[in-house]
Amino acid sequence: MSVFPATAAAKAADRRAARAAGTGPAGRDQRTAYLFVAPLGLGFALFYFWPMIQTFYFSFTEFGPFGGHTWVGGDNYARVVKDVTVWQALGNTVLYCGIGLTALPLALVVASLLNRRGLRAVPLYRALYFVPFVTLPVAVGLVWNWLYNGDFGLLNEVLGWFGVDRRYWVSDPSTAVFAIGAVMVWSTTGYYLILFMAGIKGIPQDYYEAAELDGAGAVRRFFTITLPLLSPTIFFASVICMIQSLQVFDLIYIMMGEKNPAVGDTQSVVGLFYKWAFMENAQGAAAALAFLLMLLIAALTYLQFRLQKRWVHYG
Amino acid sequence: MGDSTARGGTFFPARTGDPAPGGPPQRTRRPRPRPGSVATHLVLSLGALVMIFPFCWQLLTALKSLAEVSRVPPTFLPEDWKWSSFDEVFTALPFREMLTNSAINTVGRTAGQLVFCSLAAYAFARMRFKGRDLLFGLFLSVLMVPSSLLVLPQYDIIQSFGLLNSAPALFLPGMFSAFGTFLLRQAFLTLPRELEEAARIDGAGSFRIFWSVMLPLIRPALAALAVITAMAAWNDLLWPLIVNTDPEAMPISAGLTSLEGQYETNYPVMMAGSLIASLPMLLVYVFLQRHFVQSVASSGVKS
Amino acid sequence: MRRRTLLCSGLAAASAPVLAACSDQGGGSESGGRTTLSYGMWDPAQVPGMKKIIAAFERRNPGISVRIELTPWATYWTTLKTSMRGGTAPDVFWMNAVNFQLYAAHGVLEPLSEHIRRDGTPLDRHPRQLVRLYAYRGTQYGIPKDFDTIGLWYNKDLFDKARVPYPDTTWTWDDLRDAAAELTNPRERVHGYAAEMQRQIVIYPAVFGAGGYVLRDGRSGFGDERTIEGLRFLTDMIDRGWSPPQSAMVENIGRVRFWSEKAAMVNDLSAMAGQMYAVPALKDHGGVTVLPKGRERATVIHGLANVVSAKSDKKTAAWKFVHFMAGREAAVIQAESGVTISSYAGTQDAWISSMPEFDLRHFIDMKEYGAPYPSSKNTAVWENLQYPLLGAAFSGKGGVEEAARTLGEQMDRALKEERDT
Repeated sequence: MSVFPATAAAKAADRRAARAAGTGPAGRDQRTAYLFVAPLGLGFALFYFWPMIQTFYFSFTEFGPFGGHTWVGGDNYARVVKDVTVWQALGNTVLYCGIGLTALPLALVVASLLNRRGLRAVPLYRALYFVPFVTLPVAVGLVWNWLYNGDFGLLNEVLGWFGVDRRYWVSDPSTAVFAIGAVMVWSTTGYYLILFMAGIKGIPQDYYEAAELDGAGAVRRFFTITLPLLSPTIFFASVICMIQSLQVFDLIYIMMGEKNPAVGDTQSVVGLFYKWAFMENAQGAAAALAFLLMLLIAALTYLQFRLQKRWVHYG
Repeated sequence: MGDSTARGGTFFPARTGDPAPGGPPQRTRRPRPRPGSVATHLVLSLGALVMIFPFCWQLLTALKSLAEVSRVPPTFLPEDWKWSSFDEVFTALPFREMLTNSAINTVGRTAGQLVFCSLAAYAFARMRFKGRDLLFGLFLSVLMVPSSLLVLPQYDIIQSFGLLNSAPALFLPGMFSAFGTFLLRQAFLTLPRELEEAARIDGAGSFRIFWSVMLPLIRPALAALAVITAMAAWNDLLWPLIVNTDPEAMPISAGLTSLEGQYETNYPVMMAGSLIASLPMLLVYVFLQRHFVQSVASSGVKS
Repeated sequence: MRRRTLLCSGLAAASAPVLAACSDQGGGSESGGRTTLSYGMWDPAQVPGMKKIIAAFERRNPGISVRIELTPWATYWTTLKTSMRGGTAPDVFWMNAVNFQLYAAHGVLEPLSEHIRRDGTPLDRHPRQLVRLYAYRGTQYGIPKDFDTIGLWYNKDLFDKARVPYPDTTWTWDDLRDAAAELTNPRERVHGYAAEMQRQIVIYPAVFGAGGYVLRDGRSGFGDERTIEGLRFLTDMIDRGWSPPQSAMVENIGRVRFWSEKAAMVNDLSAMAGQMYAVPALKDHGGVTVLPKGRERATVIHGLANVVSAKSDKKTAAWKFVHFMAGREAAVIQAESGVTISSYAGTQDAWISSMPEFDLRHFIDMKEYGAPYPSSKNTAVWENLQYPLLGAAFSGKGGVEEAARTLGEQMDRALKEERDT
């Protein structure tokens, strides 16, 4: 503490120093702040940061079937890079991401239809469209498996009325990814719909009225007002969509059995990770895969935030 | 659904038609249908049918016999409405325990996140301390890491606590969330400084200020976080599949997959099981619809 | 340990199941007081029967109690491995042929030969093929508890409609093919037979019936002419449309097709009799007989065994339990519960008479010529090669001969790797 009691400025400097040193009344504030953060910090340390370090360590080891692990250097990474199933899974993931993104325009169209002035029953529509998103994904997968069923499924029956040949949608390698992707779109459209409706609500109504006075039609209004002003929300939605496609697991796990001929054509990266880690006792390689996927997600997120400057319009 | 649906119209309060310029407001409750409104309704209801019909088919299938569901062409309504598939689900699996486990998991994670995230978020938003920004950045980095990829070490940790096949195993790691912290911090940031200062002058301590002044003001954000967390917890599959392998300790999501393993392609039983498993969350949705909608909307605003 | 107790007591208030988890850990050490054994199994249908056996065992051994640890089939083996790693594996648990040698080779199973000799455990009352299945390098590690053979199930109603006589013990593969052709009705989407890509109940019996083999003296049999003949017998029925292709069977497995009367004949396990019996239509007009004869009479015999964990700290009590399970008293209780056939000779009548509508005696008779389920140390490794390689041929895309030869080569490579490590 300062020996010379002096000017107000010195006193302020003193207080700053005390705060930094963690003593005095301000120091108590600091301790309080740490107490507030501590529970979460401990939880993160135990369940996230420590596992992250461990995953990194595991990725250089091989596990014995009944315990013990040995250092294998970069072997696991070599396996991940060389394994064709990894690249196939990555390709599938990109495909899921692409298919998943089609939920955005769908939701956008519905959102702008619901934005029509004087339209009734809007909350009811919104409620109904959101139901698939609230439903347990495992249950969703089972229901759709049944609808897709090649012999007795309703989908084939309905398509049959229009002369479409019956197919085994989820066990035919050429259609399985799209069958699963369609379910993803079906279950997430409601989520994006609500996002977009909230975004549209933020657009001042006067813009539309002015445009209407200028004689702009509904389509034109959509492209000149809704779309640009909604771009931050659309950007956010596309980030969410990408992250979720990269992590898709539940639906595929439930819709695909081990004997399904389309297993390889539908496997996601997380699915492959689960298989290696918990079915094939290849925890080391699974850890390497996990680590690479984390890097990929970080890189993609960074890229998206860089790209957003090009097309996202912040009003 | 009626009441909550009506109140749910926060974003688009049903407009009773625009009053004609200069004229008196229309007295009739039904506005004159605008041109194209019928077509709009047609498109929208077709979409709604696509969203809802699978659930109707799920129920109808659950009520049919195995022989009936494999008839070609399929029957629409069950020949005789048989509820035995529902009984079969409950005898094949400890579904009651599974539902309880799911409930404990959901409540545990939600309560944990509300407490831990709000405490930390408050400190990050309203307090000044050394290393704050660094720490916040570090916490946010957890957002980048899909939790599904940390399950190997997390499993070891739960095992070393001797907690495998227990309820805490389900919710422990999920009680801590970077997203929740971020969401609540944003909410705390919008509150005016004067509130805290006034409370401090009244002699309230930091915790008192947090608990009785600030926390009540971010109730909408808390509700949003609660809904998002609850939904994620109820639906989670990968983690419970790994830590709780005893059927009595499984939540309903994992239980349903073991039903699939046992009944393979016996669809009536599986439809009955999946219906029971998704019903609780759907009921909560029906009653708290407004919160669900707001939680999604708020997750998208400003991020 | 101290930390664990603290954590548990802290969390106990939050939820009841924790209490159970904590008290489990404290329970039962061998010295003094009560010993609590854990018994790992996967089949929920067998829990009631096992509970009765446990009650009988506990009556005779007042100091010991047994607690069942049920893990569903889908996660049983991974859970078992990780629990071995963490030292929390059950003291006694179910073992199958696929995994046995791997466990025995890694020393995680307790050798039982000494105990068997000392206590005179009646191994000779169990099928010799099965007893041999659970010995590794001359040491017995497991004792069979039950066995399964595969029979031909048929739907009398569909046979009547097609005016085809019911299958019997004189049937050959030609009879099966002729009947399958007659019974197939595309308009009703009924198939005569389900040639499903399922190793234990369809593929292996066909391979053995053709006089082929899967594994002999450490060599794969998939390149063998007779093996290929057996496989072709199956894929040919798919190509001709008498059986659904595998892509269809993924979405509706043969068993469920049979239950819903869309398949007139299927191969299935004796253990499935109870489930068949629960389907009203099949209880009324379902039947079962031995598998039709190919070049040879064949079926696959497999059974589960009880084994003791080498990491258990209650081995004396664990052995007592396994010894009891190998005896007549336990076998009779198991047979009466009607789920599986007990492996103890002469106790099967209770099972047979529990479903008088089916002629279950055939399953017991087939025990004589049943070939044991093929296995080596890393069985799962080469088994995992089968479905991806055979998938196309079983989906009606042809090329079964080439696929089988490729499978044989890859399997030989896996077997070589197995010997080398």
